[in-house]
Amino acid sequence: MHSSRTRTSSFRLAAIGLAAALGAGLLAGCSSDSEPDSAGGDGEKVELSIGVFGVFGYKQAGLYDEYEKLHPNVTIKENSTERNEDYYPALLNHLSANSGLQDIQAVEVANINELAGIQADKFVDLGKESGVKKDSYLPWKWDQAKTEDGKVIGVGTDIGPMGVCYRKDLFKKAGLPTEREEVGKLWAGDWSKYVDAGETYMKKAPKGTHFMDGAAGVYNGSVSSYAEKNYDKSGELIYKKSPAVKTSWDLAMRAAEAGMTAKLKQFDTEWDQAYANGDFASVVCPPWMLGYIKEKAGKKGANQWDVAAAPKPANWGGSFLTVPEAGPHKEEAVKLAAWLTAPEQQAKLFEKQASFPSAQAAYELPAVKNAKHEYFGGAPIGQIFADAAKDIPTAILGPKDQVIGETLANVGILQVEQQGKSPDDGWKAAVKAIDNAIDE
Amino acid sequence: MRRAARRSRRYQRDARWSPYAFISPFFLFFAAFGLFPLLYTGWASLHKVSLHNPTQMEWAGLHNYSRLFEDEFFWKALQNTLTIGIISTVPQLLMALGLAHLLNYRLRGSMFFRVAMLTPYATSVAAATLVFAMLYGRDYGMINWALGSVGIDNIDWENGTWSSQIAISTIVIWRWTGYNTLIYLAAMQAVPNDLYESAALDGATRWQQFIHVTIPSLRPTILFTVVVSTIGATQLFGEPLLFGGTQTGGASHQYQTLGLYLYEQGWFNFHLGRASAIAWTMFLILVVIGLVNWLIARRLQKSH
Amino acid sequence: MARRAGKQLHGGPVTYGVLAVFTLGSLFPLVWTAIAASRNNARLAETPPPLWFGGNLFDNLATAWNDANMGKALFNTTIVASSIAATTVLFATLAGFAFAKLRFRAKNLLLLLVIGTMMVPPQLSVVPLFMAIAELEWTNHLQAVILPMMVSAFGVFFMRQYLISALPTELIEAARVDGAHSLRVVWHVVFPIARPAMAVLGMLTFVMAWNEFFWPIIALTQENPTVQVALTGLGRGYIPDQSVIMAGALLGTLPLLIAFALFGKQIVGGIMQGAVKG
Repeated sequence: MHSSRTRTSSFRLAAIGLAAALGAGLLAGCSSDSEPDSAGGDGEKVELSIGVFGVFGYKQAGLYDEYEKLHPNVTIKENSTERNEDYYPALLNHLSANSGLQDIQAVEVANINELAGIQADKFVDLGKESGVKKDSYLPWKWDQAKTEDGKVIGVGTDIGPMGVCYRKDLFKKAGLPTEREEVGKLWAGDWSKYVDAGETYMKKAPKGTHFMDGAAGVYNGSVSSYAEKNYDKSGELIYKKSPAVKTSWDLAMRAAEAGMTAKLKQFDTEWDQAYANGDFASVVCPPWMLGYIKEKAGKKGANQWDVAAAPKPANWGGSFLTVPEAGPHKEEAVKLAAWLTAPEQQAKLFEKQASFPSAQAAYELPAVKNAKHEYFGGAPIGQIFADAAKDIPTAILGPKDQVIGETLANVGILQVEQQGKSPDDGWKAAVKAIDNAIDE
Repeated sequence: MRRAARRSRRYQRDARWSPYAFISPFFLFFAAFGLFPLLYTGWASLHKVSLHNPTQMEWAGLHNYSRLFEDEFFWKALQNTLTIGIISTVPQLLMALGLAHLLNYRLRGSMFFRVAMLTPYATSVAAATLVFAMLYGRDYGMINWALGSVGIDNIDWENGTWSSQIAISTIVIWRWTGYNTLIYLAAMQAVPNDLYESAALDGATRWQQFIHVTIPSLRPTILFTVVVSTIGATQLFGEPLLFGGTQTGGASHQYQTLGLYLYEQGWFNFHLGRASAIAWTMFLILVVIGLVNWLIARRLQKSH
Repeated sequence: MARRAGKQLHGGPVTYGVLAVFTLGSLFPLVWTAIAASRNNARLAETPPPLWFGGNLFDNLATAWNDANMGKALFNTTIVASSIAATTVLFATLAGFAFAKLRFRAKNLLLLLVIGTMMVPPQLSVVPLFMAIAELEWTNHLQAVILPMMVSAFGVFFMRQYLISALPTELIEAARVDGAHSLRVVWHVVFPIARPAMAVLGMLTFVMAWNEFFWPIIALTQENPTVQVALTGLGRGYIPDQSVIMAGALLGTLPLLIAFALFGKQIVGGIMQGAVKG
């Protein structure tokens, strides 16, 4: 883009002139500047920065300290932004200006496909790096960060194989089984059986409770169990006629119209309060949600919750680590990214944070294999989620998956569930909003 | 003689050039940091541009503008902005005027009251969000709990069009009333004393003094707050975003404002060109409102 | 020191009553922030919510302080907000005076331009601004947040509206007749009269700059953060610890209010002395 280059450059001249006139040089004195070191070869002091959203738990699990011990010349600084909604647009700005980038940048699974499609040239090809072992990772996870011409822009951190968390006390009162094997059998093989169980529950539901938190949970669980949902293999957008979306939507509608949901939006304050008050009996939960439930349901919910297998294996969430080309010390950054996502470290992270490894080699390690969760009645979560993880279908992702998923849930499903519109109207409204969002 | 001439020459030069010297720092900075974004935005609004690559533009002419006419989300946002703007701005400014008048009395702890008035504006968004979620919650909100105690059923504040817009307006009123109060107060303190004295001599009551002395003296400041609040209401974005936590402004976009729609297009869907067109449309709407006001004011002056 | 009638009147019980109600309403969220910061996550989800202090305040404050690089953030934000407030007030007073009381060519057009710039939604300037800042290699430097906000159209317009009625034209004429240079007029006539408005504008601008979020989060990182940028790092990932986030919010807001409570007298003291001698 020549025209814009020249415009920025002349603008730059003007701005520099102005800055000089105002003595911005003086101001520069009060900024902390980590001067980019030279290549950062062996033995030279390097400070690596890693940008994440939320807490990946590396710091909490002591992994940075461990790495710094192994490599005395390296210090690691983590910059965390709480919400991906703030983190990702900022990352895009930094990528497009090749400025302000960290050595390692984490990317959410919902955004990885878009970056692999549009911004691949901004990232180091981790597939070609000797320190990264392709065979350690689940194949479907590895492929999610791969571009069409085979470049791999990110390595997997965690994944979110789904289970169903449920309250034994409420299940018992409603006449449903409470033992996790039995509960799993109740709906094994088909998400519609989960809604059937909801119907059974509602016949004898304890007063003031519902079977599940919201219809969006069923939709998400069901649609994620298909390989093809919003896009087909050729990258064509097919969500309007995709069987996965249709089936899952109809299930969500069934749940909403039967009144078996507590009509809650996940991660709202209201949802948190409902956990504390025990308002719903089940929720679709990946491993990373267990800590959340424990935190929100608190002491009152202790010894009530348990985890069962989901009807079908499916994935929800998880992330990648990428190394931007414009980062200051690429070589060192690649080493660190490879080490952080290696099976041993992923297993340690699972122990501390319940982020489930995307490195399949970790499933055989005792830390994962024998993991139990006290709050959930000592459920063998390592085994439950590892079984689910192995059979997760290789989902075909597309650049706008996040917008489509969010709109179907927050516009379509909520209009039916919370505003009493008909399923038909809800669907039309969601499609209209999605088309408007995707249209450039 | 000669010295006087020199002095008057200097005086003339000073009178001619000093105004420019006074306004130049503002315009210098504005040219450096305001103009470029403004022009870029205007240029981008005529193109297809993605946040992924803000320098790569594909000419689209007026397409981004013409599509807004058929864009029902835009019209809905415009309508929401208007209603929320009216139900939040009018009470806010009236209350601010009253509060400023009270704070203008001799008071114990007047400093404390002033800092308290500024607190909502200084309170963090995170804290405000949680508090208002507690107040307006459907199942466990304090307002519904209070209504329940007098036998009124729970209101689903977020999902009703009116209820959600009223709820958001209360957030806006809560945040900005104190801010405007301080602005009015500063202007009230500058009202010359003898105006009040002569009014008092004419036997005007306190209320009449307020109406016939305070308000006319405050006219420029009132104009200022009306303009700023109108602009603020047009660009409203933080409050509706924090009320529901999503960029859609409710399941049926029932409280999505123009500012929020712009944010959704630019920062969620990454359509910079479309977002820029929305921004410039907002800009034009404000210009039109300004012109209409100006015309009305002129008509009124003529008829007097 | 002339006394104004509005001042001589003492507020009655009704006045105090009304002000107390508004004060409570204004302070409640902040007080509740402190209550939330003194609890823990589980207690905050319970109903009814806690309405009195628990015992975790200092632990949560310490966690927030350490996690969010708070010391540096407060220092940075103080620099940023003071620079912005000082330059805004100074330049706005000069320009506002010129627009209010002086005659020059293209005055109305330029004033319209000023008001026009207020109408541009700020969310969008972020993208081109970052391109420029990146070109200048100012990313993560404080001047990236200070310079773009050093002047405000809002301030100029505010000062103009204030001075139009507060500054009697005769005063300027009188000074002019004595042959005073315009800078002296500004110093001896305009500034004293503009002081109350300058104090208010300074306060409002300081708070605005302190709470600015949208631009700093793009321009800075947590290595060199402002308070708002630092606070975004307080999330606990999939399990955000609300009480720590609230403790952080408290750390971000309290210094501001304490500063106003302590120095407000000095700042606003100017309002009393700046009373126009009619």
